Amino acid sequence: MARVLIADDDADIRDLVAFKLTQGGHQVTVAPDGMAALKAVREEPVDLALLDIRMPGMSGLDVCRELRAAPETATLPVILITARSQEGDVEVGFAAGADDYIIKPFSPRELSSRVTALLNRVER
Amino acid sequence: MIPPGVVRAALLGLSAVFVALSLLIVCIRGVRVYRQRRRERIAAPVRGLLLQLLCADEDDQSELLHQLTQIDKRTWRALEPSLTALLGKVAGGARTTLISLYELRGAAGDAVAALGSHRAARRGRAAQVLGQLAHRPAVAPLCRLLADRDPEVRLAAARALGRIGDSAAVPHLLECLQGPRPVPPGVVMSALVSLGPESQPRVSAGLRMEPLARAVAIEVLGATGAVSRTSEIARALREDPEIEVQIKAARALGRLGMPEALQPLLAALDPDRPVSLRTVSAGALGNLGAVVAESRLVELLDDPNTHVAATAARALLRLGPVGQGALRTAADHAGGRAAAQARAALAELAVGGARHGVRVEVAL
Repeated sequence: MARVLIADDDADIRDLVAFKLTQGGHQVTVAPDGMAALKAVREEPVDLALLDIRMPGMSGLDVCRELRAAPETATLPVILITARSQEGDVEVGFAAGADDYIIKPFSPRELSSRVTALLNRVER
Repeated sequence: MIPPGVVRAALLGLSAVFVALSLLIVCIRGVRVYRQRRRERIAAPVRGLLLQLLCADEDDQSELLHQLTQIDKRTWRALEPSLTALLGKVAGGARTTLISLYELRGAAGDAVAALGSHRAARRGRAAQVLGQLAHRPAVAPLCRLLADRDPEVRLAAARALGRIGDSAAVPHLLECLQGPRPVPPGVVMSALVSLGPESQPRVSAGLRMEPLARAVAIEVLGATGAVSRTSEIARALREDPEIEVQIKAARALGRLGMPEALQPLLAALDPDRPVSLRTVSAGALGNLGAVVAESRLVELLDDPNTHVAATAARALLRLGPVGQGALRTAADHAGGRAAAQARAALAELAVGGARHGVRVEVAL
């Protein structure tokens, strides 16, 4: 069982992803924006972060850069979530240090598989 | 001079209007928040069921579907905004299940009926739902909505038609570019591109319509890879009286990449043609990868217009080793203006290569 942070300003997506990952046995923390996501990670370490790229205030890319800059979260696995129309963000996301990305619309099952795969890869 | 009493009364009046407007805004926001919370409260008991359904394995879905189709009308209405939003955000089995839920509930039929509602917000929401469901029987009423009195509804209808993907909507989408209630060209173009290559024969009919429809049709044909229409687009570049149509044609020819585009594009570079057309045509030759255009592009490096010259330099880069060789020669041996453009393009190549971890040798 892993601790996963989900940061997305869209409550529908946040709830859906949280439900799917909880169903898969993970312990989930949710954040409605980038600032709250960083605060959550600093208060309680997580094993993986799922970050929506477009969030009000601090974007998922900014959060990813902040995580990479801090020694305690520099190697935290990060998956970015982006809309199909913002696929250009993916390249910037990898440059910011993300490990993987998921494009909306996505299948909850595929998302869960990607989270598990990345967690397994890190464990090895 | 204005009497002080009148000034005081005017100031008081203005203050009263300001306070009344502020109160109105606060009230409207309050009502919105109240309605949103009320909706969330009503939907809360079944929201868990919905999430369960979207994450369930196929074996468990039928019971959950049954439970959700049985919920009362009030709860369904409260849940519907989330359902509609999720339709556009989930894929695969979750999306198929959502569509089944709408079908079992008869909600697609309700949405078709709501297209005739007197409330614009309701018509727009219904169009959005039908688009997300890709509900083909809704194509005809959605086409009628392209002339709706509300501009937001017209946009929703155009987007929905693009999502549904029925090429019968093409003539209506092209026609809605004109008239007293037009739909913005960008939205029409996206919708037509979403219809895919199957719509190309109908989109081609737009080449004989009004200038805006011709421009949009050409752009769509270019974006959907309509190589069989290259000669018609080339004719538009040569003969269309509208410069916007010519520019779209040049860009589309570059995208399509067919050899018959070469001569019209070279002709469009003549100095007596508009700068915007010459610039796009130079770029299109680069996209075309036409090595035979190399000498003409080299000549353009010395063009008095810097946009044309810079675009020609980048087009030479896209020609690969031949174009890059020509740029190096120009950088070393050409006159001031041409050499400067060539060096700038080669420097861009060097920077791009470095960003991707590729080492590029450039002698500047």
